[in-house]
Amino acid sequence: MFIATLVVGGIGAVCALILGISLITFAVKMDAREKEVMDRLPGANCGSCGYAGCAAFAHELTSNPDAVMACPAVSAEALKAISQLLGKELGEVSPLIACVRCKGGLNETASRYEYVGPRDCRTAQIVAGGPKGCEYGCLGFGTCVAVCPFDAMEMGEDGLPHVIAEKCTGCGKCVTACPRGIIALIPRSANFSVSCISKDAPKEMKKNCSVGCIKCGICSDACPFDAISVSKDKAAEISQDRCRKCGLCMSACPVSVIASLRMPDKVRIIPDKCKGCGLCRQVCPVEAISGKPKEAYLVDIGKCIGCGLCIEKCPADAIERKIS
Amino acid sequence: MKMFRGGIHPPEEKESTRAKAIEDFPLSTLYSVMLQQHLGGPAKVIVGQGDIVRKGQPLSEPLGYVSVPVHAPTSGKIKEIAKKIHPVTGTLSPCIIMEADGRDEWVEGLPCSRDPFIMERDELLEAIRAAGIVGMGGATFPTHVKLSPPEGKPIDTFIINGVECEPYLSADHRLMLEEPDKVLNGARVAMKILGVDRAILAIEANKPDAIRLMEEKAPPEIRVESLSVKYPQGAEKQLIKAITGREIPSGGLPMDVGTVVQNAGTCAAIWDSCSKGIPLIERITTVTGRGVSDPKNVRVRIGTLLKEVIQFCGGTNNAAKIIFGGPMMGIAQFTQEIPILKGTSGVLVLTEKETDISDYSACISCGRCVEACPMGLLPSTLSKLGEKGTWERALKNDLMDCIECGCCTYVCPAGRPIVHFIKHLKALFRTAGAKSKGA
Repeated sequence: MFIATLVVGGIGAVCALILGISLITFAVKMDAREKEVMDRLPGANCGSCGYAGCAAFAHELTSNPDAVMACPAVSAEALKAISQLLGKELGEVSPLIACVRCKGGLNETASRYEYVGPRDCRTAQIVAGGPKGCEYGCLGFGTCVAVCPFDAMEMGEDGLPHVIAEKCTGCGKCVTACPRGIIALIPRSANFSVSCISKDAPKEMKKNCSVGCIKCGICSDACPFDAISVSKDKAAEISQDRCRKCGLCMSACPVSVIASLRMPDKVRIIPDKCKGCGLCRQVCPVEAISGKPKEAYLVDIGKCIGCGLCIEKCPADAIERKIS
Repeated sequence: MKMFRGGIHPPEEKESTRAKAIEDFPLSTLYSVMLQQHLGGPAKVIVGQGDIVRKGQPLSEPLGYVSVPVHAPTSGKIKEIAKKIHPVTGTLSPCIIMEADGRDEWVEGLPCSRDPFIMERDELLEAIRAAGIVGMGGATFPTHVKLSPPEGKPIDTFIINGVECEPYLSADHRLMLEEPDKVLNGARVAMKILGVDRAILAIEANKPDAIRLMEEKAPPEIRVESLSVKYPQGAEKQLIKAITGREIPSGGLPMDVGTVVQNAGTCAAIWDSCSKGIPLIERITTVTGRGVSDPKNVRVRIGTLLKEVIQFCGGTNNAAKIIFGGPMMGIAQFTQEIPILKGTSGVLVLTEKETDISDYSACISCGRCVEACPMGLLPSTLSKLGEKGTWERALKNDLMDCIECGCCTYVCPAGRPIVHFIKHLKALFRTAGAKSKGA
C-alpha cells in the first residue's frame, strides 16, 4: 500500500513538474488588456469589423496602436470603457441600421408558383428565380432573420422581415445573406427610405405587386435638396448624405412607398436671441418663416418641414429643434 | 454487360411513347426564340422590330468562341425583342418574338446540297457553329467547341450517345429508329473532324429494336454497343466509364481520357448542317406523362410555345407539374407561356398523385445515397453542408464534381432534397467567386 502510494504520488509529482516547466517555457504572451477588451465587445463574432471575430478584433485593438474602432455594434458605455483601458480616445462608429426595402408581403405581391423545398431564400432563389411574382421582391423565407446574430429581426405575419431597431447593430449579416439585395444599411439617423428596389417598368411591376415604386418621379421633384434619384428602370433611391429629413417626398408619393423611420423635429426661433437678420427666411425652402427685419422672426409650424437649413444658416444661434 | 459504379434503376415509363412515330408539329403563328439557348458566352441580337426574316436566317451573332447564334424557325416578321421568362433560369431574359407569315420560305441558298466528306475540317466546324448546334441531350454545350479539342489532347474514341437513360423520354429512341442514316452519317462527319477511325454507338438494352436496326445499318468503323439499363448511363462521364473503362479525373473533361461524346440527336443535327446547311431550328421532343391526354414524340420548331405543344398532344389532364426534360434532371415550369428550347428533350406532365411531396427530415446516415452516387461522392455530407451553407467545406468534399443526376435524392428515405442543397452550395460558391473577382 505504502509503495503504491509512493509510486503513484511520484508519477504525479514528476508530471506536475513537467507541466509546471512547460507552463513557464511555452506560455503565450498575451496583453492582459486583450481579454478585458474582448469582454466588452458584443461577442457575436459577426465579422462586420473586418476581422475573424471579436477575439481577433480585440487583439488588433490592443496590439496595434493605430487601430480604430470598427465595431458597429459596440455600446457607448463599452466604447468608453475600452477607450479607458487602451488609454486613448476611440472614435465612435457612425451607427447604422438595417432597412428592408420591400413592402410587398403575402397580400400585396403575387406568387408565381408553389415552392417546395428548404425554407431558405437562397435555395428558393435558385428554383426558377424564386416563387415571388416580383423578381426584386422579398421572398419571405426569413434567411435574414436566421442569420441575424443579435435577434434583431423577426418575420411578420405579412410575410416580410422587420428590423427591431433597439436590437439592430448594423453588422450587415442580413445584407449579405439576402439573395436579392433587398436589405441595405442606412445611418441610424436617417428618417426616410424607399421600400422598393424594383427595376421593372411600372406596367410590369403593377402586374405582380400593388405597392411598389411606380417611378413617377414626383418624390424627386418634391425634394428641395436633390436627394432622390429615380429613373424609368430604377426605383427611387434616397441619398442619405443629402437628405435633410423634411419628409416632403413621403407626403408627395402617390403610392406611399416611402417609409418614415421617424418624423423630423420642427424648428423654433428663440425670440431673445434672434437679431432679425432674415437669413433664415431666405434659405427656407418652404417659406415657413416670416417676420420683419430687426424684429424676431416666426416659424409657421404648419409649414415647417424640419430640414434644419435655417439652423445652419443662423449667425446668432437663435434657432433650435423643438421636440415634437 | 458493361456498367459504371453506383446509379439506380427507376421505373422506365417509356411505354406510352416508345412505339409512337414522330409527328410533325404544324406551322404555328407566333414563335418566341430565346437568345440564350446554349451554355457559354452571350450572343447579340442582329435583327430589329419589324424586320422581315426568312426560315433559317440567323437572328443573333455569337460574342466569343463558346457561343452560338439562334435562327428564324420560319419566315415572317419580327414582332418585338422582348423579355420573357426563360425556362431554365426562370428570370426575364431577352427573347425574339416573331410572327409567321405562313409561307415558311427558306432563306436564299438553303437548303443546299454538298458532300461533307470532301470538305475541310475547319469548313465543317464553321458550318456546325453557324448552324447554332449545341448538345441536344439537354446540357446545350456548343458542339463546335466539343469537336475541337486543344492540341495535346489526342482523341482515339468517339462515342455516340443513344442511351437515353432518363425515364419517360423516347425522342432519341424514335430518331434512331426513323432516321438511322442521319445519325450514322452525322457521326461519321464528327469522326472526320476529330480524326478518329473508330466510334461506338451506345444504346441501352431496353431499346432492342434500335440496337438491331443500327447493327444492320452501321458501317464497319462504328460499333454498336448494348448496355445494361441503368441511370445515369447517358451522363458523359458514366458512359465513358461503362464503355471504355476510363475514368475522367476530378474536374476533367472527356477529352482528358481521349474521348468525345455526342448525343444521337446532335449527330443528326451535324449531318443536316454539314450536308444541307440547315441550322438547328427544330428538334424532336417527347411530350409525355400521365398528365397529358395523348403522349407523343413531336418534331417541333425551336421557339414554339409550350401551351401550343401541349394542346397538340390533347391538352392536360389532372396536370399538377410540368417539367422540361426528364423527371430526374428536368426543370419544373410554372407557366406554359414559355418556348421550346434547343435543349428541350422532353416535356413531362405529372399528375397530383405523382408529385406528392412530403416534408424532409434529418439525415439518418443510412448511406444509400453514397451507394447510389455514380460520381463516388458523399451526398449525405454535402446535403448537411448545404443546410448550413458552408460551401468552403463542401468544395473539399468535391462539390464541383457533382453532376446533379438526382440518384441521391431518389433513394433518400428521409426525403431530403439533396440535389437542391448541392445546387444551393454551388450557387453560393459562384457568387462568392464573382465577388472575390470583382474586388
